[in-house]
Amino acid sequence: MLGYTILAGLLFGLYFSLVGLGLNLVFGVVRIVNLAHGDFLMLGAFSAYWLFSLFAVSPFISVVLVFVGFSIIAWPLYYLLVPRLMATKDPEMLSLILFFGFSQVIEALATIAFGTSDRSIPGRALHMGPCRLFGQNYPASWIVGAVVSAAAVLFIYLYLYHTTKGYLSRAVMAHREEAVASGINVNRVCAIAFSIGVGLAAAAGVFAPFIFGSINPAMGVNITITSLTVIVVGSLGNPLGTVLGGLTYGISLMFMQTYFSSWANLLAYVMLILILLIRPSGLLGRSVRYA
Amino acid sequence: MYPEQPPGNGEPLLRIEALVKRFGGFRALDGLTFDLMPGEIVGLVGPNGSGKTTCINVISGLYSPDGGDVIYHGRPISGMPSHRLVQIGINRTFQVPKPFPTLTASENVRVAAAHGRCDCTAVDVDALLASFELDCYAGRPAAELNAGQQKMLDLARALATGPSLLCIDELAAGLNPAELVRVAERLRELARSGITLLVVEHLMGFIDQVTDRVIVLNAGRGIFEGPLRGAVTDPKVIEVFLGTENGD
Repeated sequence: MLGYTILAGLLFGLYFSLVGLGLNLVFGVVRIVNLAHGDFLMLGAFSAYWLFSLFAVSPFISVVLVFVGFSIIAWPLYYLLVPRLMATKDPEMLSLILFFGFSQVIEALATIAFGTSDRSIPGRALHMGPCRLFGQNYPASWIVGAVVSAAAVLFIYLYLYHTTKGYLSRAVMAHREEAVASGINVNRVCAIAFSIGVGLAAAAGVFAPFIFGSINPAMGVNITITSLTVIVVGSLGNPLGTVLGGLTYGISLMFMQTYFSSWANLLAYVMLILILLIRPSGLLGRSVRYA
Repeated sequence: MYPEQPPGNGEPLLRIEALVKRFGGFRALDGLTFDLMPGEIVGLVGPNGSGKTTCINVISGLYSPDGGDVIYHGRPISGMPSHRLVQIGINRTFQVPKPFPTLTASENVRVAAAHGRCDCTAVDVDALLASFELDCYAGRPAAELNAGQQKMLDLARALATGPSLLCIDELAAGLNPAELVRVAERLRELARSGITLLVVEHLMGFIDQVTDRVIVLNAGRGIFEGPLRGAVTDPKVIEVFLGTENGD
């Protein structure tokens, strides 16, 4: 039972790494808190649901379509919202208010469009049966979610450390003014990071119907809080620290669901409070604050 | 769009015209006007809060002016994005340099060389680092350099973009006397190569060593323009720095 719980926690943890990854990339590079992050995940989940329901599109294809589609949508959204925020005295604080409002708008419009009932994608959509790992059976959706998340983390690592744009993103993450003085078009670098961040959130949403069982338009707020917990536990502003935060959250959640199931829903809030009280810089601390 | 060589015929490289910058009700720059000629080194001095760094921040595009104009090569550049200003030849160093800590010293300069130039001229990064005695630290993360070395790296980073105008914000603070002499000589070399330097500094000995003339600021306005030895005998300057006999 203990082994099953730990391995299931790791699989869940990898998925939650993907859930928080985009939010942390956006915070790290753009220095704004996208409180609509969970709502983009919800929209990604509904996109996958409709793609499967209407056109029988496999989630494996949906995840690519959704990532690309939402990244493209996020590009003009960045230029519509963020440069104006950046011109204010306290963009971080104002971003909380703006994106909270934006989150409510998305939720309201999604409720009008999709209704309030829960939707789900049948497990057969993945065309895989349960997978056996270390003598235990795990749902295929958990394995697939974890593998796709690991691939996304690898993609972000390669982007940040092995591409020119990623190189520039790290420079902007470190010191925006020095980056400007080096001739870097900070706005463009931020727009790319914002687009990738929103695309990753929506891509995580493709597997939400499998991981959470069902989806609904109101799920965004809880997902945003879970994402905040994951990235604060890992290290705020360090996208790769999100993996540690995700794994910690996933294992903790699985232990709670196994041994104290009625308290499991409190986990995100309790972890958020504890980490902010005990180690506000996150588990990875200041020494790796910058990617 | 912009000539690469400094303009001739006695035309200024940079003209600051009645520049105003407000922060709420406080006028950090209040109608500041001056010219910078190609290849000259001008000191911008004044008491704390007189608007020196604000002036550099406006010239380098970090702040938009609330009035007046910044004219470069005869064209207004107010409101142009900072990274574009870097690419047309205006760069600056920072009072507290913040190099990219996880990038090596060499990478810090390479980023600037790759993105801060409008031409495709190759920059000899190793030689640039060597000219600031940073060659043996080229492969080290910038976070491991001491404060003086980070200042030199900041200067190397700015020079990698091939500036025509370089604004230098309190470079001398924290450097030891030997370093000050070397930096002063290096700045004079840069001016001889045609780069115009606007130097904000509190250390008057350093200003005296380096500059051709100084502009003294008080409350966002220029109150004196000329050689430093003239400034120290100017009644207005004396009043601003030392106060009056009545203790005002």
